[in-house]
Amino acid sequence: MIVQESMTIEQKLTILSDAAKYDVACTSSGVARDGKDGSIGNTAASGICHAFSADGRCISLLKVLFTNECIYDCKYCINRVSNDVPRTTFTPEEVCSLTMEFYRRNYIEGLFLSSGIIKTPNYTMELIGRTLKMLRTEYHFNGYIHCKAIPGADTELIETIGWYADRMSVNLELPTADGLKLLAPHKNRKNILNPIRQIQAGIEESRENFGMMGGNKGAYWHTRRKVEQKSITQKREEDALLHIGHKDQIRQVIESKSDKGVGFSNRILTGWEEEKDSKILTPNHRIYHGNQEISSTIESPSVIAKPQGLTMWNQFGGNRGFVPAGQSTQMIIGATGETDYEIVNVTEALYQKFDLKRVFFSAFIRVNEDSTLPVLPGGPPLLREHRLYQADWLLRYYGFEATELLTKERPNFNVFFDPKCNWAIGHLEQFPVEVNTADYYTLLRVPGIGPKSAGRIVKARQMSKLRFEDLKKIGVVLKRALYFITCSGQMMYPTKIEENYITNQMLQLDEKLPSHITNGGITYQQLSLFDDSLMLSNS
Amino acid sequence: MKEKRIYQCEDSLEGIFSAVYIAWASRYGHDNIELEVLGMEEEYNLKLFSEYIIVENNPENASKVADSIKKKISPHAYQMVARAALSNDKRKANAIYHFLVRGFAFGAKVEDHLSDSYVQIIFELNRYVGNDAHLYTGFVRFIELENGILFSKIEPKNNVLEIITPHFADRLAQENFMILDVKRKIATVHKSDSTWVLTAISDEELATLLSVTERKEKYERLWKTFFDSIAIKERENKTCQRNHVAMHYRKYMTEFIDDVEHENEPLRDNLDKIGKINYE
Repeated sequence: MIVQESMTIEQKLTILSDAAKYDVACTSSGVARDGKDGSIGNTAASGICHAFSADGRCISLLKVLFTNECIYDCKYCINRVSNDVPRTTFTPEEVCSLTMEFYRRNYIEGLFLSSGIIKTPNYTMELIGRTLKMLRTEYHFNGYIHCKAIPGADTELIETIGWYADRMSVNLELPTADGLKLLAPHKNRKNILNPIRQIQAGIEESRENFGMMGGNKGAYWHTRRKVEQKSITQKREEDALLHIGHKDQIRQVIESKSDKGVGFSNRILTGWEEEKDSKILTPNHRIYHGNQEISSTIESPSVIAKPQGLTMWNQFGGNRGFVPAGQSTQMIIGATGETDYEIVNVTEALYQKFDLKRVFFSAFIRVNEDSTLPVLPGGPPLLREHRLYQADWLLRYYGFEATELLTKERPNFNVFFDPKCNWAIGHLEQFPVEVNTADYYTLLRVPGIGPKSAGRIVKARQMSKLRFEDLKKIGVVLKRALYFITCSGQMMYPTKIEENYITNQMLQLDEKLPSHITNGGITYQQLSLFDDSLMLSNS
Repeated sequence: MKEKRIYQCEDSLEGIFSAVYIAWASRYGHDNIELEVLGMEEEYNLKLFSEYIIVENNPENASKVADSIKKKISPHAYQMVARAALSNDKRKANAIYHFLVRGFAFGAKVEDHLSDSYVQIIFELNRYVGNDAHLYTGFVRFIELENGILFSKIEPKNNVLEIITPHFADRLAQENFMILDVKRKIATVHKSDSTWVLTAISDEELATLLSVTERKEKYERLWKTFFDSIAIKERENKTCQRNHVAMHYRKYMTEFIDDVEHENEPLRDNLDKIGKINYE
C-alpha cells in the first residue's frame, strides 16, 4: 500500500471524515463538566448538536478516522484492505489543531476519533492515545472526547486512554457471533467483548473510588434501578417525582434511600447479592446467572486483569474520572439475518451485563460489492433501524423488558406500529386507563403519552380535572392515546376496546415518522400504498 | 359591560413589570385588563370600547413586582416569567399579567395549573425560548478576527443573547469574544479570564462590525470540507436537515454560507487522481 506523504490537511480531512461517516454514536451527551482555569472547554450533560449534515444527521463532534489504512478485510467496510481507495493518516498534531480551532469557533462539541487498524492494534491504539494525551495535557482541551478502543490492543493502553476520554466505544459490528464470522473474518466476538468488559470494570472502579462525576449510573432502566438498590415500585415513584419536577420532594426521596457516604461510595453490594435472578455483573466480577436464554448470544468474556485505577488517577492528575460519559457500541442492522427479537435481546443483555450507556444501530448500507453481502431492494432498512431505536428507548426510559416487546413466535416488529402501540394492542386487558387517577407509571405505558406528558398530567390534575382538550395542550398525542384512555370515565369517542377494531383504526393514522425515513422515500411510500389497499379491502 | 383597558409597555422585562404594577394598582378588575407590548400590538387595532394607556418604564415599580414574584410565588416562577418576556410572542405581556394574577392567588402551585390557558402560554413560551437558546449554543459561529478576538453574529427570533452568553463564558473562559445580535443591536462582550457585559450597539458601530467580518480564513474552509464529506449520500435528506436546522438559523452559519471561492468538486477530483496515482 502506498501512502501519499504530501497531502494537505484539507485533503486528509476529506478522506478521513468521509471514511468515518458510517460510524454512528456521534453524540456528545452523558457528562457535565464546567470549564476550568487554564483550559478551554466544558461539556453539557444533554449534549449539543452543532449542525446537521445533508443526510439530516446531527453533527456534534469532529468525527474522523485517525487513519483509513487497515489490515483487516471486513466485507461491509469501505476501508477494508482489499478496497482500492486513497489512504492517509493524520499526525496527532493535526488532529489536535483541527479539534481546537473548530472548537473555538463553536463548530463542534469535541472529538470523535475512530481508526482503521494500521500495522497492529497496539500501534493504532498508541497513536490514538498519544493524540488524546496531547490534546488534554498540551492543548489543555477540557471538552468532550469519544474514542474507539481497538480490540486486541493491550489492556494498559486501553486503560491509559480511558483516563483521557469521556466516552469509549468498541463496535460489536454485528448482532451475533455467526454474523461476525461471516462478514468480519479477522475479528472475533471474544476480542471485542474483552475491552468492553475492561472498560466496564474501569468505570465501576472509578465510580467506587472517586464517586466519579458524570458516570454511567446504568443506562438501562432495570439496571439503574438495581444500581440504586430500589424496588420496581420505589423506582417508579422516583421517576414520577423526577418528571413532576418538585425538587425538594425528589431530594427527600433520594436522600431517604441512601445511607451514608458520598456519591457512589455508598453502594454496598449486599443488596445485590440477594437478587439471585440478577444478570448484572458486580464490580467484583461475579456474574449472577439468570435467564440464560436471553443472553445466550453474548458469550461470557474471560476475566481480564483488573486495571490499576488508582495509580493512573495519580499519574495523570485528572479529575475527569475514567470514561465518565460511559461506553457505547454499535451494530449493523440488516447485513445478516438476525430477527428483531435477537437484536433487542442482545441489546438488553449488553445493557445488563456490560452496563453500556448506549447501543447504536446502523442500517446496512452496501458500500462494497461482495457476494456475502445482501442486496436490499428498498435501500438501507431505515424503518427497521427506527423501530429498534424506539424499542431501545422503551428499554432505557420506560422500564420495559425485551421479553415484553417481542417473542420467539413473533420475532419482528410490526412495521405499521411503533413498539409501544404494538405492545398496548397486545395488552388491551390493561386499558382503558383513567387519566385523572392512574399513576405515573400506568400513564407512561399509554401510546401517545411519554415521560414528559405523563409528568405534566400528574401535576396538572392536582389543580383541576383534566379534559381531552387539556391533554392535547399538555402534549399527549391524542390520535394515538384516545383508544386507551378515559377522562372522568368517558372515552373521547364511542370506541371498542377490541383488538381488530383498534388495529384497523390505528392503521389509518399517519404515524409521524422522522423525516429521515419518510423522505428517504421508498420504504414509507410502499407502506402507505399498502395501507390504503388494506383499508379498501376491509371496507 | 365595562370598557376594556389596554396597558401598553416597552418590550422588556422592566417595561412589562412596570405595566403589571400600574394595571394591578388600578383595581379596575383583572378580567377587564389587557397588556400589550408596544411594537407587537394585535393587528385588529384599535379595539372598540377600549381605553389605551401607555405605561412608561419605572424601575422602582418593576423591582417591586419582581420581588413579590420571588417571595409570594417562587423564584422558579420568576424565572419562567423572565424567560417568557424574552420571547417574540405578542401574547407575552398579557399572559404574564394573568399568570401573575393566578400566581398571587395560588402561590407556587400555579406552575402546575396546566389546564389554565394563561399558565399554558407561559409554559409554552418558556419551552419555546429555552429550546431556541439551546439550539443557539450549537449554532453560534465564531470567526477569528486578526487580533485574535472571536466574533459572532446572530439574528435570533427570541432574545436569547443573555441566556446563551454564560455558556460561552464558561466554555471559552480564556478567549476574548463578542456575540452580536444584529437585529436588536445589542452585544455581549467577554474579556479573557474575566466577566462579560451586555451592551447596546450604535448604528455606526454596527456598520463597522458588519464590515469587519468579510475575510475568509483557513478553518472556515476546512469546516466546510468536513461538513460536506461527513454526509452519507445514500441517506441524503434535505427535509430532515431543514427540520433540525431551520432556514432562519443559517444566515450566519459558516457551513451554510455560499462561498464562491470554496468549490468542493476540484478537491474531490484531485483526490481521485491521487488515488489513481497511488494504485497504478
